[in-house]
Amino acid sequence: MSNLSVLLNGKIGNLFLNFEHHFKNDGITILYGPNGSGKTTIISALGGFINNLETRILFNGNELHDIDKYPPNKRPFGIMFQNPILFEHLSVEENLDFVIKRNQLNIQNKSLISKNYLINQLELNSFLKRSPENLSGGEKLRVVLARTILKNPNYLLLDEPMSDLDIKYKAKILVFLKDFNKKFKIPILYITHSIEEISQIGDQIVLIKNGRKIDSGSVSNILNRSSFVDLTGKFESSSILEGIVSRHDKNLHITTLDLNGQKLVVPGLPGNLNDIVRVRVRSRDILLSSSRLKAQITENELQGFISSIEIEKNSAFSELVIVLKNFKNNRKKQKLRARITTYNLKNKKLLLHDNVFVYVSSVSIDRQAYQSK
Amino acid sequence: MDIYHHLGSDFIAILITLKLAIVTCFFLALIGTPLAYFLAFKSKKTKPFIETIVTLPLVLPPTVIGFYLIIFFSPEAVLGKIFIILTGEQLIFSFYGLVLASIIYALPFWVQPLQASFEKIGRDTIRTSYSLGAGPLDTFFNVIIPLCKRGFFTSLIISFAHTLGEFGIVLMVGGGIHGKTKVIAISIYDHVEQLSFGKAHILAGGMLILSFIILLILFYFNKKTVVRVK
Repeated sequence: MSNLSVLLNGKIGNLFLNFEHHFKNDGITILYGPNGSGKTTIISALGGFINNLETRILFNGNELHDIDKYPPNKRPFGIMFQNPILFEHLSVEENLDFVIKRNQLNIQNKSLISKNYLINQLELNSFLKRSPENLSGGEKLRVVLARTILKNPNYLLLDEPMSDLDIKYKAKILVFLKDFNKKFKIPILYITHSIEEISQIGDQIVLIKNGRKIDSGSVSNILNRSSFVDLTGKFESSSILEGIVSRHDKNLHITTLDLNGQKLVVPGLPGNLNDIVRVRVRSRDILLSSSRLKAQITENELQGFISSIEIEKNSAFSELVIVLKNFKNNRKKQKLRARITTYNLKNKKLLLHDNVFVYVSSVSIDRQAYQSK
Repeated sequence: MDIYHHLGSDFIAILITLKLAIVTCFFLALIGTPLAYFLAFKSKKTKPFIETIVTLPLVLPPTVIGFYLIIFFSPEAVLGKIFIILTGEQLIFSFYGLVLASIIYALPFWVQPLQASFEKIGRDTIRTSYSLGAGPLDTFFNVIIPLCKRGFFTSLIISFAHTLGEFGIVLMVGGGIHGKTKVIAISIYDHVEQLSFGKAHILAGGMLILSFIILLILFYFNKKTVVRVK
């Protein structure tokens, strides 16, 4: 099992980096933070490309920071840089062979991932013989991803891999990455700015700001925390809910989830029956009421109580945390962030610990919800 | 240089000139290439300083460089002494003195196009290659050289053409000794001085045509280079 711990300390450019984290040895870990917070520097340091920082990298008991023993070409990582590059003097297929030729030992020992598997999964067949010069952004990205994976790395490091991709392929590749991660048990460190990507494939998340780790933990916990909201800004504030698939309606194309005895209808047909599915609900899309509305205005009505109220200064809004009622009495507590106008809050006389009814339209629920377990 | 005696003196000058250009380009490849690589990727604080030194031959009058080289090459100077110990010959007024002078004089013509070419492929390409498991030498020969072949081509053509046309330094350091250090440019000068314009025409016209063809080849191939934005 891969075991990666990183410590970085020092000044690089204008950034004071003081970062320490023990990365999980499975699943997909998201590295999230504003531009210039040091995310890319962390990946560069892991790759052995930064030598003016105090660096400690322990991987499976090996001291990788020893640059003489582990120069960049002898590190066990597959790295996809922010600005992915294909060698233009080689065809697409030769680009793939480039990495196979140089990692024979690695591949023989593990022989996990075959070239054909990746060509099929990432649909590279139609342009294998072409020169990288004539590829579209999306095609190029898939080839780079395939080449990175073909190294049979022990840890995959992806720096904003989807930034150049259209929505159609984004969804496909996210599904591929999640499946790949589960199938081959190769952990992934994934940098992204997209909350959608985080909620779709992230298992763990590390928040970083100004070169320091602010918070870390499982995605479903962190996304509901104020440390995350501080980074994204209130407008993007959202919550992750986990429910068990209890019904698929194939005619209407909707899925009913069970949230500890409460029902939540989401669009699409994610997961299989009894799978746990994760969905993201934007805080600004939530309506609250202290009494049950007679005319039900949305598909979803949930019950909970207000566990915190934060009235924002110099702003029209307030942010509330609602703890959803658990009718199954298991230990799982689900929280929902709601963002409403302070006018509304005062008008409805909502107070701390009050019971509330929560109304969420299915339309506003993130459609690309991905099955998590 | 006995074989030369059977040939016409202008023909000998042509052979010497070509030999000088070829040998100079060979050494430029060995010395100028790592220097261009260093300037493109490695140096930070020292870069302006080294770039200045490499570019100096472009702006200095050849006589200034020639003057200092005469001093360094003389049998009393350290460099001149070492050469005598190693070969038994004087460095000044010898063919190898010419080569050394030409290397220095043509260095910016080798380094600058190549450095620009290295900078264009950028650090990210090299990092990508390393991260895929290729070591530094592997990367240099199988990634950088093929990607920069136009840069190498440009450096080679321009340095070669430039060395063919040298006059001032070659005259000062080599002395224009027939069969040894007398190149085409000096032959032309001698012919003009002796008012034998017919012979001067043949050599000068030949140089003109050769240089034209060399540059035409260069620009013809570089026209095909697609400038890649990004």
